[in-house]
Amino acid sequence: MVVQRYGDVPGGAEAHARSVVQRLAPHFAIEVATTNSTDYLTWKGDLTAGLDRVDGVTVRRFPVERPRAWNFKLYERRAFRSRHTLEDERAFIDAQGPYAPELLDFLFRRGRDYDHVLFFTYIYYPTVLGLPLVPERAVLVPTAHEESAIGLAAYKPVFHAPRAIAYNTEEERRMVWRRFRNERVSNEIVGVGIDVPAERNATRFREKHGITGPYLLYVGRIGVSKGSRELFANYERWRASDPAHDVSLVLIGDAETRVPRTSGIIHLGRLGEQDKWDALAGCAAFVMPSLLESLSLVTLEAWAAGRPVIVHAQSPVLAGMARRAGAGLAYHGPAEFAEICELLIDDPALGDRLGRSGADFVARTYTWSRVVDSYLDLFAEVRARLH
Amino acid sequence: MRILVVVQRYGAEVVGGSESHARVVAHRLAMVNEVEVATTNALDYWSWAPHFPEGESMDGPVRVRRFAVTGTRSPTFKDAERHVLFEPHTLADEQAWLAMQGPHTPGLLEFLRREGKGYDAVLFYTYIYEPTAAGLPLVAERAALISTAHDEEPLRLVPYRALFQLPRAFGFLTPEERDLVHARFHNGHIPNEVLGIGLDPPPWHDPEPFREHYAPRGPLVLYLGQVSEGKAVDELLADWSRYRAAGGTGSLVLAGTARMQIPKQDDIVPLGRVSDEEKYALLEAADALVLPSHLESLGIVLLEAWQVGTPCLVSAKNKVTTGQVARAHGGASYGPGAFGMALAAVLAERDTLGASGRAYVERECTWPAFDARLEQLIDLVAN
Repeated sequence: MVVQRYGDVPGGAEAHARSVVQRLAPHFAIEVATTNSTDYLTWKGDLTAGLDRVDGVTVRRFPVERPRAWNFKLYERRAFRSRHTLEDERAFIDAQGPYAPELLDFLFRRGRDYDHVLFFTYIYYPTVLGLPLVPERAVLVPTAHEESAIGLAAYKPVFHAPRAIAYNTEEERRMVWRRFRNERVSNEIVGVGIDVPAERNATRFREKHGITGPYLLYVGRIGVSKGSRELFANYERWRASDPAHDVSLVLIGDAETRVPRTSGIIHLGRLGEQDKWDALAGCAAFVMPSLLESLSLVTLEAWAAGRPVIVHAQSPVLAGMARRAGAGLAYHGPAEFAEICELLIDDPALGDRLGRSGADFVARTYTWSRVVDSYLDLFAEVRARLH
Repeated sequence: MRILVVVQRYGAEVVGGSESHARVVAHRLAMVNEVEVATTNALDYWSWAPHFPEGESMDGPVRVRRFAVTGTRSPTFKDAERHVLFEPHTLADEQAWLAMQGPHTPGLLEFLRREGKGYDAVLFYTYIYEPTAAGLPLVAERAALISTAHDEEPLRLVPYRALFQLPRAFGFLTPEERDLVHARFHNGHIPNEVLGIGLDPPPWHDPEPFREHYAPRGPLVLYLGQVSEGKAVDELLADWSRYRAAGGTGSLVLAGTARMQIPKQDDIVPLGRVSDEEKYALLEAADALVLPSHLESLGIVLLEAWQVGTPCLVSAKNKVTTGQVARAHGGASYGPGAFGMALAAVLAERDTLGASGRAYVERECTWPAFDARLEQLIDLVAN
């Protein structure tokens, strides 16, 4: 498996990659090729390059040879202009990083020693420049969503050259097919499995963090690209116009943008797994304002915990999943956001009903046995063509 | 339909097998489609020096867009090539080799990125050069690759690992090329069409003067093409002298530009370049055509010989020509030391083999047959 960061690192795609490695490990001799960085903003080499082990799996860490360009935004602007050049695209891919030429050299020399090379996330240097070195054995997990970068010509080989693609959702596949016309590449909607801890205790969470009354919950990175500012504004407007509903907004995760000190907004920072599940179990609803998701693990976890989810109607993946699951409500703007919150607070039975439907959806679709079987099928197809 | 043909060099005066094929295809397609060509301003493939004016021009119904080659081929290219082909080297060395080989034409690549989506199909000629290796990935969803691949060292290099996975369809010149590409790249799932070629009927020609001249000395064995070591004419000369030493009779006529020393002896006749009429007169007058080359990707001269009912003798080292001869049942192939025997066998059955070859080209190489295969290829790409 090739992935930009690996191990105890934040990030949905990275967590996804690690859980797939853990589940595939009983079936294959599996190794990970990654970088020595845990930080996607700087790619600073904060880990030792060389051989490492994570969960009993060999991890080859290759050095990031330059940090992310300080003026990366400039490269981005140049590459995203309509009248840009191929050189602008190449410069953008290098500047975005993680710039790890030794990882490429490893794939060039040793990639063919592996039956399969699984590339996680389409966007970064290791996949863009690494996948074309071993296309005949490559399986791509794109974790793609609508964003400017995916329009660059540099990504065409990433979506046309691999032997198979494991999409996260129906929506992701539709978007990729529309953009790339790569329907002929073997593919499957694979996604992930959700592990639900046997025990979830909302009271323990409330007591530990001193939270009383009903609360909306958000878990994940808190940043502009995640729609956090809009969430704060929607929440503040709702509370200002409707003070009768005393509902707090609990945030779990690292903040990359300022969290307002409005009363009712409670930022707890990053928490452990058990805390997260306890928090999910107790929320009135889980809120996912991000537009740019290829698969929201934490949304699936909220459903697995039996809670309803409030999503942005303009996120095709989340709105589509909420509709298919019958387990969420989608808003277009602040007014609808407020209306949905009131509805769920005033009618807790509705929230419970939606949550149960979500739990059924996850148990039906997002099980590891199905995910592992799908990977095994894709790999068997790749091997059949290689030999 | 709007179709774009991308090829490293283009024009009536350009010499080269894949370049000629590209021009034929552009003109055949232009009879029912809007066809454009994107190419360079170079005439030769060793310097890529500018020759044609940049910009748009018309070649009959075909609109030709010529983009400038920036910089001619590096004088150290051959060293760099030897390094990546035969010495320990890095990934970066292999990647740099492609641009050094040329023709490096950023304008053509930018054109493909910006305007490529305006075409229903883009046909790329010759896998090896940068316009294809760097250009096809920019329009993979509408691309056909006419790879004209041989079993040669560069085919192993890194720029081609992904290239052969990207097109929507392949056009191959022969079944042997298809088998080579499938074995090397495991890409048999990508649809393909074996195109071969179409041929015009031979022009008026008169074989009698050649027959009268050579017949008294025994069989006339013809070689037609560049007279060089690259085409294995040195091996042919060695085989010929063994054949003569063993008592064989006849003349070996070499028609084509000489790029090597030819021994001065009565039974070996270098004619230099010949006209089209002389070519067909020689082909028809000959008792057999011999093609010793190891690296033919189609062997058009075999087809031309069969047009006038002459059987062919090919080196067994070349799978393509050996396959062609077997399919047409129009001659024989010879292994090391077996030239004389094979020649005797072909001469003994000259008329039967020649007639069989003629029937093969009449079936496979007419324009309607070729156009149908071409249309099939376009259908695989455009949808």
